[in-house]
This record gives sequence, C-alpha cells and structure tokens, in this order.
Amino acid sequence: MSSFVLIGLFDGVDQAAKAGHALRSLPLAAENITSISGVPLPDGSVTVDPRPIRFSLYVVVFWFVGALAGLALALATYLLYPLITAGKAIISIPPTLIITYEVAMLFALLATLILGAREMGLLRFRARKVHEPRVHDGKIAVCAVVEPGEQEIQARRAMKNAGAIDIRIEEGEL
Amino acid sequence: MKHRWAMAIDLDRCTGCGACVVACTAENNIPVIGEEEAGKGRLMHWIRVNRYWEEESPGARATYLPVPCQHCQRAPCEIVCPVYATYHNEDGLNAMVYNRCIGTRYCANNCPYSVRVFNWFDYKWEKPLDEQLSPDLSVRSRGVMEKCTFCVQRIRRVKDQAATEGRKIRDGEVQPACVQTCPPGALVFGDLEDPESAISRLFKDPRRFRIFEHLGTEPHVVYLKRRKGAGA
Amino acid sequence: MSGENHLARTDEAQLYRDLSRSNLVTTWRWFAGVGVLSLVLLWGIGVFVYMMMTGMGVTGLNRPVFWGILIVNFVFWIGLSHSGTLISAILRLTHATWRAPILRAAEAMTAFSLMVGGLFPLIHLGRNWRFYYTIPYPNERGLWPNMRSPLMWDAVAINTYLIGSLTFLYVGMIPDLAILRDKSDGWRRKLYSILSLGFRGTHAEWRRYHRASTLFAILIIPVAVSVHSIVSWDFAMAKVPGWHSTIFAPYFVVGAIFSGIAGVVLVMAAIRRVFRLERVLTPLHFDNLGKLLCTMSLIWGYFYFTEFLTVWYNRNPEEWEVFSSYGRSFLPVFLLMIMCNFVIPFPMLCMKKVRRSIPAIAFASLLIVVGMYCERILIVTASLARRNDPFIWHNYFPTWVELSITAASFAMFGLLYMIFSKIFPIMAISDIKERLFHTTERSFGGASAETIARVEEGEEEGGA
Repeated sequence: MSSFVLIGLFDGVDQAAKAGHALRSLPLAAENITSISGVPLPDGSVTVDPRPIRFSLYVVVFWFVGALAGLALALATYLLYPLITAGKAIISIPPTLIITYEVAMLFALLATLILGAREMGLLRFRARKVHEPRVHDGKIAVCAVVEPGEQEIQARRAMKNAGAIDIRIEEGEL
Repeated sequence: MKHRWAMAIDLDRCTGCGACVVACTAENNIPVIGEEEAGKGRLMHWIRVNRYWEEESPGARATYLPVPCQHCQRAPCEIVCPVYATYHNEDGLNAMVYNRCIGTRYCANNCPYSVRVFNWFDYKWEKPLDEQLSPDLSVRSRGVMEKCTFCVQRIRRVKDQAATEGRKIRDGEVQPACVQTCPPGALVFGDLEDPESAISRLFKDPRRFRIFEHLGTEPHVVYLKRRKGAGA
Repeated sequence: MSGENHLARTDEAQLYRDLSRSNLVTTWRWFAGVGVLSLVLLWGIGVFVYMMMTGMGVTGLNRPVFWGILIVNFVFWIGLSHSGTLISAILRLTHATWRAPILRAAEAMTAFSLMVGGLFPLIHLGRNWRFYYTIPYPNERGLWPNMRSPLMWDAVAINTYLIGSLTFLYVGMIPDLAILRDKSDGWRRKLYSILSLGFRGTHAEWRRYHRASTLFAILIIPVAVSVHSIVSWDFAMAKVPGWHSTIFAPYFVVGAIFSGIAGVVLVMAAIRRVFRLERVLTPLHFDNLGKLLCTMSLIWGYFYFTEFLTVWYNRNPEEWEVFSSYGRSFLPVFLLMIMCNFVIPFPMLCMKKVRRSIPAIAFASLLIVVGMYCERILIVTASLARRNDPFIWHNYFPTWVELSITAASFAMFGLLYMIFSKIFPIMAISDIKERLFHTTERSFGGASAETIARVEEGEEEGGA
C-alpha cells in the first residue's frame, strides 16, 4: 500500500481554489496537499502551508557567526603575526568594526542562499519530485498525496467536481 | 640601546647647491632617469631641493628647502599600506621593505611631503656605471616604492661597529650621504636619545619649525628658519 | 466575483516567447557583436600584459598623481553597480510593482560592473603578480595584511558585495530557470536543470522563496551603501586636500546611485531595441526611472554644492588650491561635469515629455554617465595634481595604455552582458507574470483603472 501523488490540472485560480478547499475537507494532512503554479499564490487561497518558515531565524544566527569571523580576521594580525611597530597599536577599533560588519553581511547572505534553498527543498537532489510543466502555460496544478483506494477515489471526485481538465497519477514526493 | 634618529636643516646655510641630491643618488643606487622622464614628473630623488620664487623678475629671489623623508612619528604612509611594506622601526625610522611592496602607491598619495618615489620602469645601469652600485642595499625592481631611509645602511654599519667595539655611538659618527656632503654644513644628523648631541640642541632652537606641522605627522626633520637679511 | 486578472487574459506561451527572444533566437548580429567586443577585450589584455612586463611608466602617472584613470575606472564601475541594488532591492521593499521588467537586467548590470570594477585594483598594482600578499591566509612570509588600510576594507567589502549580488541575481533567476528548463531541450535543458535546482513552483517553495528574496533585498542594501562608502574612504582617509572630507561617504553613495540609474536606463533602452520588448518596457518605466534620475541629479548637485561651499567659504589654502584649479587647469573637465550632471539633464528630466521619450531620456542618461566619469576624474587626479607642496605639482593625462585598458573594460562589460542575455533569461518572466496575476481592471463610475492587489502574509482564505 504505497501512496502516490494525484495531480489535477485546472484552468484558473477559482477552480483550483475550489479543488483545494474540497481536498482540505477530506481526511488528508494539510502538508500533503499543495499547488504547483507559475506564479506564487497567496497562502490560503488555494492551499495552505502549515509549516512555519524557519530559516530566517538561522540567517540572523549566521550573521553573528559572521561577525565573529570578521572580528577574528581583523584581529588575527595581532595574535598570529606579531609585528615591529615601535610600540604603536596594530589593532584599531574602527577598521575592526568595518571588517566585522562586512564579513557578517557576507555570512548572512550566504546563509540565506543555502538555508533558504535547503528549506525550499531544492537541495534534495536524490529525491524524485513530482512536477507539472503545463503550469507555465497558465494552468494551476493541485496535488495531493493519497493512498490507493478510498482516498484516491474521494480525491479524484473532489478534483472532478471543481472542474479539472486533467487528473493523473505520479510517483514521487511533493 | 635605543636610538631616535633625527635631522635638522639650517636654512640660513643652505645655498641650494644640490650636492645632497647628488650624494644621495650615488649612495643609494638611485637611477638617473633622463630628461624626458624628468619632464613627466618621475624624478627619483630621495631628497629634493624645493625652490620657491619670492618675487617676480627682475628682482626675483629664490628660497631653497631641502626635503628628505621626514620620518614622521605619526606617519600617514604607514597605516595605509595594505601589505605592511612600510613600518616604523625601533630606531624611530620609517622603514621601507622593497620585497613586500606590491605597488598600490597609496603611501605616496598619503605622504603630504610627496617624498616617496616609485619605480616606473626597471632602470638599468650601463657598464661601467654598474660598478658604482653600493652592495649595502638592493637595486629595486619596477613597481616598488622607495624613499629616503636616513641612509639606514650607514646607521647599521656604525651600530655594528660600535657593538663590536663595545662602546656607545658617538655624536656625528653616523652621517647619511647628504649630511656628509653638504658643503655649508646645513644638514645635521644625530640621535635624539643622546641629550648631549648636536641634534638634541637644535631641536630646542627657537628658530625651529616643521613643514606642514598642522597636519600632525610629527616629523623627525626640523628646519631652522632663515633670518631675513642674513647675507644675500 | 473578482474581475478576471490580466494573467488569465494573457497567452502565456506567447508571453514566454516574447520575453525570451534573446534566448530563443540568435542572429549574425550577436556573433558580430561578440566578435568585436572580444577583439577589444583581447587588445586590452595584451596592453595590460605589456604594462605588467614593462612597468607602470607606460601610463601617464607621475609624482604626485600616483593614481589616475585606472582608479577612476575602479570607482566608476563600482558606482555603476548600485543600479541593480536600487531597482531590485529598494523597489522590492517598497512594493513598486513597475520594477518587474527591469529587475533582471539591472541585477545583471550590478554583478557584471562589480566584476569589471573589481579587476582594477589588481590592474593598477605596480607588482600585480604579488597581489596575493593581500590575501589573509596562513603563510610562510610571517606577515598578515594590514587591516587598517582602506584598501583592505575595499577587498573585503567588494568581495562581499560581489558574492552577494551574484547570489541575488542567481536566486532571482531560479523560477525563470525552471520555466526555461521545462521549455527547452538539449544542452540548455541540462544546464537549466542543474541551475534551477529542481524548483517547481509548489506552494511551500513559493512561500520560502518569497521570504528568501525579501531577506536578500534587506541584506543587500546595507552592503551596497557600505561598499561605496568604503570605496570613498580610500580617498577620505588620505591627507590629500580635496579628498579628506567627511562628506565623501554619502556623496559617493549618492553619485553611485545616480550613475547606476542612468546606466540602467541606457541598458534598458538598448535591450528594448535589440530584443523588441516595446510592449513590456513601456514609456511608463522610463518615466519612473526618469523621475528617480531627476531626484538624484538634484541630490548630487546639492552634495557637490555643499562640498564646494565649505571649501570656498573657508579658503583653507591647501584645499582652495585644489578647488580653484577646477577653474583653471581643469576647467574643461569641470564644465563638462557640471553640464552633463546637472545643467542639462535636470531641466530635461523635469519634463514628462522627455521622460517618456526613450531617445531623449537615453541621451540624458548618457550625459549623466559621462558627467559622473568626469566627476571622478576631477576627484582623483585634480586633488593629487595640486596637493600640498606646490614645487611638485604636475598635470596628468592618460596614455594609450590606460585608454586601451579602459576601452577593454567597457568591452568586457558588454561581452558579459551579451553572453548572459543569450544563455539566461534577460526578463524576469516570473515577476512579470506575478504582476499580471495581481492586476485587474476596476471600474470607478464611468472610468476604469488598473488595480494591482497586494497580499500581506497571514491573510486567510478569501484573500485576493
């Protein structure tokens, strides 16, 4: 009894919304229902995304990690390679602040890229992800992970009632 | 033994003859770049004699100001070098490391006295002029900054000599090439750490001033003001 | 019942073909352009190698003008890079929906002008082959680079901005790369499959993508401001009269945004012509850019006048020598700058007719780019040529070596742009679609107007 993904293709956002609403009234987990679209749809219009977005907090954490790295870079001079300066200071605070700030921003930017891609699921290279290329021609796809049998029949009925122009099965993950 | 090398230039005595320039060029392996390059503003003199005209012709009078590296205690050139090619050594000299320089020329931009010069090309000494080169210091490659070092090779030689003989350095024993050559004796060099030295006395002279003193660079080269009407 | 949105009315396949014309169709003109630019670039590289082997003496540099056209180029290109940041980031955060067709080209401009500009600190070194002395890595030389030097701040900041803007450009392209992947075949499909990272457009992906884009916009703006401030501090930290001014940081940032927007106008005018995007890049976009340009011209003029006023009033001898030389030896450059930055463009850009006429606004932008170049020439070379000690004053004029390298930098920028437009989507297809999706016609009594919906996060069902 392995589950698969049921993909319904809809002409407009109103039909897709009807389908999404109908699917949510079935006993399916909310994260197993999603839409595939060429433009971002407002949360709750067609489907709901119950999982909170986590990575933004970690970006802030990485900002501070970067600040520490920048501090280390600017101060490393003094510690690693002591220099003859006739008693003058090598560490000065304003340049240290500048370098710290820049490296912190660099870490934050890279963290946004990597952690964001990770949370979007874009780094799952081995996984087989379902896709509907026809969304680029103005259609919206609504997908649901269903078990074969009663769940599949109910989901198909919901999609048909909403006006799906095509319903198909695909093996894979959302 | 701590030293603080400094120089005093008596403008009453300076005649603007330029012998200091010639001596410095001979002592420090400085190339003679030729008339065309000099016209482009690329003179390599480590000490130059500034000439200022006081009136228009026909009564024009010139004043001369020899300008070596001022060896500033708060050298603006030292902090801006990205690779530490110029630093402050324990003898109070602003030292230059040719091997380290990558030629950003920021130090030259930051020197208000414009005493730093740049090797625009690989300069050659045609035979037999290469025999004149001093083995005590290097010939610099293209792309490297250089400037007056207070003849650090002579300072080092005297320090070594004094250490071998187990004595202190005598006042007037260290003489950079320009100081040694100056015919009217306008240039005086010595150790400020020695309270008895000539230079320590001149640093308290009421005629003393520094160039661009308002910039706060605290140079170790002090000038003694020319008294108006003294001689011609 | 919500009015039908404009995306539903659009033939999306045709829209894709229109917007991707640069990717789908290649004419002999593209090859000819790439060929010419490559020749200029190769010539410049050859001249650079000659300069490296012979010495910096082949340039027009001297004492006291130790920095010349090569550093002017550096500041100029880094200044142009503020284009994309402004358009993408600031206009995104302020929800200016008209930014959609300009996004991609502006961000690409940022990335490429940073690449070109970042080369100049390496090109102008006396001993370029030893540039790695500035890289902070554990080494056997016993020396670490000097972090107190503004040049090292430059190195760190420009690296951060380059990586940041490339990342920004790339992330912005991911949905478009997904579209291209689904619609192409052969080597292109393989390339886009890798680059799009398997983006499909699921609801969860879009939500996080939107958050990531917002975060990028928030992060890149302070980086852009700090980068050009740090570039200005190369000058402001020096004891050169005319450089040592506290106004330099905001002055340079303003100048950069100014020249950046002008650059965007020029690039957009070119793209519109070459890729026949007349219906997407409408006079409205140039009108809005023109308004920004008009404002920046005023702000730039204000900063310049402020700097001049304090020096003129004070007559501090060292600084006044520099500024009064603008009226003597450097008069042609000074006049060209004032005319091209303010006197001609500002009145022009105040007129709606000019802003909506693409040749007119492109002309104004070209003047501004020339004027900003002249401004940097004045800042870098005039201050050095008339600095502290009058005995060593000397004028500066670039030689064929520096001019060749300058031409090659423009060729490199053009080349990068041409290659980019061939392989990657030059129009932000997804953003344009998103804007159309949010647009409906709404009737106000007898008239109707375009309404663009803006959805806030956290609204439940029944949103748009």
